[in-house]
Amino acid sequence: MNRPRLVLASLPLLALAAVAAHAHNAICDCFDNGDETITCEGGFSDGGKAVGVPLRVLDASGKVLVDGKMSDESDYTFPKPKVDYRVEFDGGQGHVVTIDGRDIEE
Amino acid sequence: MAARATSSRSMAATLKSKPRPVARLLATALGGLVATAAEAHFQLLYTPEAALNESAAIELALVFSHPFDNGFTMNMGMPEAFYVVSQRGEGDPKTTDLMQYLEPIEWSGVDSKAAAYLARPPRTVTRSLGDYTFVLRPAPYYEQNEDKYIQQITKTVVNVGGLPGAWDEPLGLPVEIVPLDKPYANWVGGVFRGVVLANGEPVPHAEVEVEFLNHEPQIAERRFDPEGKVTAPQDSFTTLSIRADAAGQIIIGLPKAGWWGICALNLDDDLKHEGKELSLDAVLWVKATDMTK
Repeated sequence: MNRPRLVLASLPLLALAAVAAHAHNAICDCFDNGDETITCEGGFSDGGKAVGVPLRVLDASGKVLVDGKMSDESDYTFPKPKVDYRVEFDGGQGHVVTIDGRDIEE
Repeated sequence: MAARATSSRSMAATLKSKPRPVARLLATALGGLVATAAEAHFQLLYTPEAALNESAAIELALVFSHPFDNGFTMNMGMPEAFYVVSQRGEGDPKTTDLMQYLEPIEWSGVDSKAAAYLARPPRTVTRSLGDYTFVLRPAPYYEQNEDKYIQQITKTVVNVGGLPGAWDEPLGLPVEIVPLDKPYANWVGGVFRGVVLANGEPVPHAEVEVEFLNHEPQIAERRFDPEGKVTAPQDSFTTLSIRADAAGQIIIGLPKAGWWGICALNLDDDLKHEGKELSLDAVLWVKATDMTK
């Protein structure tokens, strides 16, 4: 039961992100860990990983509070901002997923 | 009662056929007058939505019934196992035991009440993106009319957020139907394919039954919707009886939106439970969705 994404996974990471984003949608979701941290998970609609994909946290004025990259597990955890914020998961080629901090629940 | 009276027509035909699980009679409940051989037992592992846009707490109803015609609902014992296997993308699969969330309830069929279970695991269980395959191994059910036990190992697959996981992988169950199409992403009018496995091996020409969940479960009311969505023109349409091909593969059409149950029957001839024959069945639930704007 080989899946196309297994082939993708063997490509260099940058190529993976680009190829996956070209053919598939970028997907990101975040939750509140209840300990003043937020975890965001990402991936692509073919199951492709999001390792190294940029994840930014911005305040209401657009100032970047956190400039991170998805881990080897395709997730990223950051301290919960004290101010209103949004998360941007940049899947490349215009595939940016934006999540309002007020929508992030435990 | 009226709903099932129509099934009595099939009795003569059924008695001519060889004894097999499809001929599970309900004579006891109906005073021996009516045999509803045309309908099949199905273990439900029901949740309203199969493809969630966002993570949410997923509520499940565990009911043992006859889903097409809202027939006799049977008492469930405490399940032997109930858990969920989740996988986000290509990450490692994770198993979460759900036995602690089982709540015994009474479920109402059209003319019967039976012991069933509700499970309401918190959102944290299904908070991540990916596939969630819920697995239920119910207690063996004693079918008096056949003097044997039935145990239906049942899978229902839910996806969160559109990020796929291991929906197409076997879970190493004694018997199971492994999907060849995502069970949660099917348009009405399409087909669904799967492979019947017993002990990890395909079962050529496996006997398989297919039923549409015609009476939508109403979890809040602990019952099936008394109104069905469709009417069978003849008893053969209540339970669609098919065979797997030589490679153990099945293909079914999905002509109507909703849940479709697929049950591969009696996949191990040698099993006994409490000295009686045990039919070990594999059930998989598949959801079809209308193409609309």
